[in-house]
Amino acid sequence: MMTRRFSTLAACLLLSATALTSPSFAQNDAGKAVYDKVCVACHSAGIAGAPKFGDAKDWEPRIKTGMNALYESALKGKAPAMPAKGGATDLPDADIKAAVDYMVAAAKGGAKPAAAAAPQAAPAAAAAPAPAPQANPAALNFNRLLKPASKRNPPPPEDGIHDPENDGTHALQPPLTVFQSLPRSNAGNRVDWVKALDTNQIGPRWDRTDPTAAPVVMDLNIVREVKGSMPDVVYPHKQHTAWLDCSNCHPQIFIPQKGANQISMAAILLGQKCGVCHGKVAFPVSECRICHSKKKNVMPVKNAQAN
Amino acid sequence: MSLRHAWIRQRRALLSALLPVALAGALVATGDARAEYADVVINNYSDAAGMRPVIFPHWFHRIRFRCKVCHADLGFQFKAGGNEINMVKIIDGQFCGACHNGDIAWSVENCNLCHSAKPGTPTQVHESTIQKLAIQPQAGGQK
Ligand code: HEC
Ligand code: HEC
Ligand code: HEC
Ligand code: HEC
Ligand code: HEC
Ligand code: HEC
Ligand code: HEC
Repeated sequence: MMTRRFSTLAACLLLSATALTSPSFAQNDAGKAVYDKVCVACHSAGIAGAPKFGDAKDWEPRIKTGMNALYESALKGKAPAMPAKGGATDLPDADIKAAVDYMVAAAKGGAKPAAAAAPQAAPAAAAAPAPAPQANPAALNFNRLLKPASKRNPPPPEDGIHDPENDGTHALQPPLTVFQSLPRSNAGNRVDWVKALDTNQIGPRWDRTDPTAAPVVMDLNIVREVKGSMPDVVYPHKQHTAWLDCSNCHPQIFIPQKGANQISMAAILLGQKCGVCHGKVAFPVSECRICHSKKKNVMPVKNAQAN
Repeated sequence: MSLRHAWIRQRRALLSALLPVALAGALVATGDARAEYADVVINNYSDAAGMRPVIFPHWFHRIRFRCKVCHADLGFQFKAGGNEINMVKIIDGQFCGACHNGDIAWSVENCNLCHSAKPGTPTQVHESTIQKLAIQPQAGGQK
């Protein structure tokens, strides 16, 4: 069996050498590569008001300011939300400029949003059976933002990323076959994982091989006061240490000292601090109240507490 | 149902009041089926090697193991594609191979259970904030 395993693998590795020469995917120029890696995070969809990739209307007034101005903004950043070099300060200037060139060309090329989506959002694009490019009837849907129940937790062959032509895809477990029996939540997997664990509906191992090993759960809440009207954040060690090791957070993500870490929503949205997990694997950022759970004083609206 | 709607309305109110720009259009639903939350596509080498990219389903594994097992004991970094996994390492018992060894879970010869993504799917964690916090600037002030 070992030998068969290895020979299959060897065959594949050989194949890979030849596959390399046939560019299944258009070889990117530097600009596209940087865009796909860095700039796409904000510019593909227009986060925080970033001009959208391929959207002529967004870019026209900016292009009018001249390429040098655009290079300058990209290299040095532009208030309020365009970081210097898109945050990738280690990249050489030339690469950033190439990314600007690429973005400007896409905007000038009149690339419509649908076409523009292709370079960065391959999975989404692939997911769309036929992305109606212009007069998208989906625009008239009653619910624009609410994902209809039938579209949640799709089985692997229909989820847009698994290849339905792969026989293995059909052997995988559809999430709903399990989720239906677990406590539900409003977002993410739509499973309340904390509750599922607390009520022993799932029993994930704490050790790879020893099913009896159990975590030492630490019950320590850290309250982080929030300026403004938003309720304060209660960070609970309890729910986290049930899943994670101290070393998953300390010291890399958080210095273990109350108040020693600067945390902001912007950082969380960009996948830092709490956002390392929340918005990727743990419940997503849209669930404000799970984190912002501590009312200020008695009156939730009392917001004079700007410290 | 009405609770739901109230919740949504409340959330929208919060969003528009507090982080109007960054969060306004938070959940853009294209209406298409979408990947399961936290599914990770790993495609550092697969496309180039002529294999389908790999899909790692978090939901499936977290029912069986706590995060700690993979992210502390087995050393998986919190970064899609950040672990430079390849088949030599897997067969050597590292990363996926610590379990997919015919002992804890089915072994490595089931190539197409792991290599199951549409060719060309880039490395990323699906349904993440970054992927979803998509707002059309012109829709920034909607609602
Ligand atoms: C964190 C989000 C973010 C990332 C990442 C990002 N941008 Fe931006 N970008 C913005 C925002 C927001 C604006 C709009 C700024 C404004 O005019 O208010 C912007 C504007 C720009 C502009 C127009 C500037 C002008 O003067 O009008 C250029 C060019 C640009 N970005 C290039 C890039 C490049 C190149 C990258 C990748 C290397 C990148 N951006 C990555 C958010 C981002
Ligand atoms: C800590 C142990 C562990 C690690 C590490 C691990 N897996 Fe698994 N995996 C399992 C177990 C257990 C199963 C269930 C096996 C069964 O059903 O017999 C499984 C099943 C799967 C399945 C099938 C899911 C289904 O729908 O049936 C896929 C796909 C998978 N793993 C991919 C991966 C990939 C890719 C990696 C590495 C990036 C990986 N796994 C790492 C333990 C692990
Ligand atoms: C999910 C991430 C996470 C995990 C896992 C985690 N912590 Fe923390 N820890 C935090 C955060 C966030 C803070 C608050 C830091 C701040 O306020 O700036 C904190 C604060 C602390 C503090 C400082 C408390 C104080 O009053 O100053 C200690 C001590 C601590 N953690 C110990 C641990 C230990 C021990 C473990 C493992 C049993 C652990 N932490 C696991 C995120 C984590
Ligand atoms: C290393 C990953 C990680 C980091 C970093 C992290 N969390 Fe969590 N958090 C989790 C996981 C896993 C859960 C379990 C629930 C889930 O998966 O949705 C959880 C649960 C929670 C819960 C409990 C929800 C409940 O239903 O009781 C709160 C509150 C929370 N996190 C807040 C925070 C805050 C605030 C921060 C930043 C200071 C943070 N988390 C950082 C992984 C993380
Ligand atoms: C994973 C936990 C978590 C979730 C979910 C979350 N927040 Fe936060 N939020 C925090 C933390 C931590 C801080 C920083 C508190 C501090 O200053 O120490 C914060 C700070 C804030 C602030 C203060 C300004 C700033 O940017 O730091 C606002 C406003 C805010 N959050 C709004 C929201 C809204 C609106 C939502 C829902 C869309 C939300 N938050 C969801 C954890 C969370
Ligand atoms: C347990 C999951 C799993 C199984 C089973 C598996 N692989 Fe992989 N394989 C991976 C992961 C993860 C990578 C890294 C993917 C990447 O970065 O592109 C990978 C990468 C590869 C690569 C490119 C990198 C390299 O090592 O050359 C090839 C070729 C490959 N696999 C072939 C196979 C073949 C052939 C089989 C069946 C004999 C197989 N794989 C079974 C998870 C798996
Ligand atoms: C069976 C192993 C396994 C378990 C259990 C597991 N993960 Fe992961 N995790 C992975 C793998 C594999 C990756 C992708 C790494 C790569 O691509 O090299 C990953 C990636 C991640 C990432 C990075 C996403 C990104 O690109 O930013 C986060 C965050 C994460 N996991 C959090 C968690 C949390 C929280 C839990 C527990 C609820 C958890 N993981 C449980 C294997 C696991």
